[in-house]
Amino acid sequence: MLRFKSTKAGAAPVTESIPASPGIEGGAGANVPQAAPMGAMAGAAASPFTSKAEAAEAVRTADLLLIVALFLIMLGGYHVHAMLTMGDWDFWIDWKDRRFWPTVLPIMLVTFPAAAQYFFWNHFRLPIGATFLLLALLLGEWINRYVNFWGWTFFPINLVWPTSFIPDALFLDIVLLLSRSWIVTMVVGSLGFSLLMYPNNWVILAPFHQPTEQFGQLMTVADWIGFSYVRTSMPEYIRIIERGTMRTFGKDVVGVAAFFAGFVSMMVYFVWWFIGKMFSTTKYMKAI
Amino acid sequence: MKTTILRSLARLASRQAGRLWALGLAAGLAVTMASAGPAEAHGEKSQAAFLRMRTLNWYDLKWSKTTVNVNEEFEITGKLHIMNAWPAAVHVPDRCFVNTGQPGPVSTRIYVGVGGQFTPRSMRLEVGKTYEFKMVLRGRRPGHWHTHVQLSVETGGPIPGPGQWIDIKGNFADFTNPLKLLNGTTIDAENYKVGPIYLWHLFWYIAGVAWVVYWFSKRGLIGRFVAVASGKAEEIITPQERMVGAVALAATLGIVIIFYAIAASSYPNTIPLQAGDFTRIQAIDEPEVPLKLKYLGGSYKVPGRELTATFRITNEGKEPVRIGEFGTAGLRFLNPDVYTTKVDYPDYLLADRGLSLSDNAPIQPGETKEITLTIQDARWDTERLSGLAYDVDSSFAGMLFFFTPSGTRYPVEVSGSVIPTFMPV
Repeated sequence: MLRFKSTKAGAAPVTESIPASPGIEGGAGANVPQAAPMGAMAGAAASPFTSKAEAAEAVRTADLLLIVALFLIMLGGYHVHAMLTMGDWDFWIDWKDRRFWPTVLPIMLVTFPAAAQYFFWNHFRLPIGATFLLLALLLGEWINRYVNFWGWTFFPINLVWPTSFIPDALFLDIVLLLSRSWIVTMVVGSLGFSLLMYPNNWVILAPFHQPTEQFGQLMTVADWIGFSYVRTSMPEYIRIIERGTMRTFGKDVVGVAAFFAGFVSMMVYFVWWFIGKMFSTTKYMKAI
Repeated sequence: MKTTILRSLARLASRQAGRLWALGLAAGLAVTMASAGPAEAHGEKSQAAFLRMRTLNWYDLKWSKTTVNVNEEFEITGKLHIMNAWPAAVHVPDRCFVNTGQPGPVSTRIYVGVGGQFTPRSMRLEVGKTYEFKMVLRGRRPGHWHTHVQLSVETGGPIPGPGQWIDIKGNFADFTNPLKLLNGTTIDAENYKVGPIYLWHLFWYIAGVAWVVYWFSKRGLIGRFVAVASGKAEEIITPQERMVGAVALAATLGIVIIFYAIAASSYPNTIPLQAGDFTRIQAIDEPEVPLKLKYLGGSYKVPGRELTATFRITNEGKEPVRIGEFGTAGLRFLNPDVYTTKVDYPDYLLADRGLSLSDNAPIQPGETKEITLTIQDARWDTERLSGLAYDVDSSFAGMLFFFTPSGTRYPVEVSGSVIPTFMPV
């Protein structure tokens, strides 16, 4: 598996035989490849490492580089996807309504995590795909909201905070861990991913749905903040909230929206699991 | 010999091409950045002339103050005429929003009213009607800011009106945005609940990082990859780790449910976001204008920045009238014989000697006159309205203001096609 290092002047010959993998409890570097004994170097083949510790350190470094690189790549890709597809519903507090917000966001955000779950689970048996992706997304979003929305244009943070999604991602990952089945994760995990969004965010959203009367009009605090902090390029009519004919359940539309999002998320998860299968690769790791 | 030198030079250029290209790019960027100033407008000049002339006419605009302190309020008031000449290229304003054009929330919006109705959301306006509007803003971020009125029309986009420079003095940190709730408490909307937002996100972020680090520390990526590739996929996760997962799942659900319940009980009276348009906006009940106008023709001279328009005007009133002003796209062209004192209006939009008439004598009651208006000023060009010579239907539109000796003013919408005279080639 490992390419052998040629013996050059100054390079210490391998004198220590690295024992076999100590087992699956061994931690990083536990499965480091064995260094070949001196005699085996005939034919220009030798271990690239001079000791077990050096090999473990190299593996650990490679692991860190890989995970950081993956994090940054996912941050960029997933963030662009999120901004293009769910954009304003996540940008502004006066777009976080009971119908479109809990419908659009889970459907759009279950995508990359499904593909990431395929990659991390099938190749590494790591139940971290969704959480890893949502951590990347949220870091990107917070940088964007703090530096751009607040730092450059001075929109207050309570107008532009991103939707919290980490509990939803943990749910998706843990369902995969416990069920060991992507089908169960698709059905149970995606549904939970959608259903958890509103109650998780209501913790910080509820105060902004308190009523206020302004010049004879009833408004929420969120409506007021959206009105008060001028967005020149955003006339009110482009705000897509509370539209539609979903009136069968009276005022309790959040549950219907969340269940609908859950069912659509299942299908989206299915598709994106296979996108992960088709477009993710570990061929470079195999080369190691 | 010559060939050898040329070849050498070509090889040298080829080798240095990348460096030269990068140097050129860097120099270009430096020059561009050095010449870039702060943005001072909102793109109104980039809009086609016909769009600005034939959709709306803002008039009687007043900015109550042009210098305010942080937290100090100022007003913009005026009238908004929706033109009968509304172009077919833009959807009529049956869904529109009176907005404020400024570089971000440098001042907050306290009130916007059209026809006396508070309009925090979209509304329907009718073509041919005139509406009074009022906007109350509150100084927030110190600086020198160009502040416009603006009507955004669904499918048509924003149509900025006149702008004025507003100076905001003081300290940004002192800004407050008090808001009284129905339960009687007053909050500061500027930083309301920012702390809990940070805390909630931070808590879950730490939880997420802990989850990823916990699993990543279990042999990382390469170690696990090797194990999975060697057929140990089913053994790699231990029962103990599954138990950790189950506990994490229970904790996640428990925390969300408990905090949701706390939030629900802490804020029992919440309402959904408010939506819905205002459809019955009251227009100004204008008195009947005792004038009959017929547009006889006109031209626009590109070299002279001059619009001429000839009208046959009949005065059916009891007082003589004079033409005092032509207004279009926020620009005001004044007849200096009528406006004898200085008018308070942004200079870049005010041509205080821009209107002259072929016959400046008043039109007497019962009299019919043919009068040619000459509307000439460099502002046609600086405001990029001279583009009307190149519009798809070469028409102008605007408001003519007639005045009587007793001080009555009659605003009359006028429009018609013009024949351009181009630059001599």
